[in-house]
Amino acid sequence: MSETYSQLEAGYEFPPGSYMLDVSRVSLFLAAVEDKSYPYLENRLIPPMAVAALAMATLSNTISLPPGSIHVSQELSFVAAVSLDDSLTSYAKISRAQKRGKLHLISVDLNVRNQNQQTVLTGKTSFILPQPDGEQ
Amino acid sequence: MAKNRGQLSELREGKELPEITKTVTQRNINLYAEASRDFNPVHIDEEFAKKTTLGGTIAHGMLILAYVSEMMTAAFGKMWLTGGRLDVRFKAPARPGETITVSGKITKLEKNNGQTTINCAVLCSNGKGEQVITGEGILTTPEL
Repeated sequence: MSETYSQLEAGYEFPPGSYMLDVSRVSLFLAAVEDKSYPYLENRLIPPMAVAALAMATLSNTISLPPGSIHVSQELSFVAAVSLDDSLTSYAKISRAQKRGKLHLISVDLNVRNQNQQTVLTGKTSFILPQPDGEQ
Repeated sequence: MAKNRGQLSELREGKELPEITKTVTQRNINLYAEASRDFNPVHIDEEFAKKTTLGGTIAHGMLILAYVSEMMTAAFGKMWLTGGRLDVRFKAPARPGETITVSGKITKLEKNNGQTTINCAVLCSNGKGEQVITGEGILTTPEL
């Protein structure tokens, strides 16, 4: 079930999301972004931005971003290479939740680990969310 | 540019990264929605998006950010995949039909404690010259 975003507070931890990126999903990602900068599939590697995209999906599975939400900023660190065989788990925690007038600012820390509990990606994402209907 | 550590010595502050130009299409956005599982209607439902303040669909910010990572990978090769960092702000939405130019320049190159750190200013701009993404790409890699 999706949470109401305005009820989320700093310290809230999203349910972890587990996933594997197979050849078809990586191919889909590469087709979407038309990235030919590196032979990922030939080397059985996953583009780090594909890992980041699914880390963000961990949030959208839980939090419903209403129309009018703005993705303000993004930090990402690519810590270790991710292979096609890796099992990944994304962890996300709200590091800041502020109300400024009619807007909510939410920052979420991201951490993705592989099956050996090694961190492969970290990041921070920030959104500005509009005030929900009926909320003062 | 410098796709392995041996080529890092060729780099210098002020050097521009190889520019990338991409045209955003609704097809790309739809594919990205599937790949990322982000089906927010502002990205994929034109009728819905038209009724919002956006006036039409927009690309996922992370799709455009992937172009920046592509430029950094083109510049630094596999080193970027295990030592890259992005710190950006999304300044304006990118819409289907827009051409996005991704550019970058080395602003700082530092060798310290056996590591080389390369800071690059990065920019995505649209055909009107508006900034879509601004920020920094930073590569940290062991020094040879």
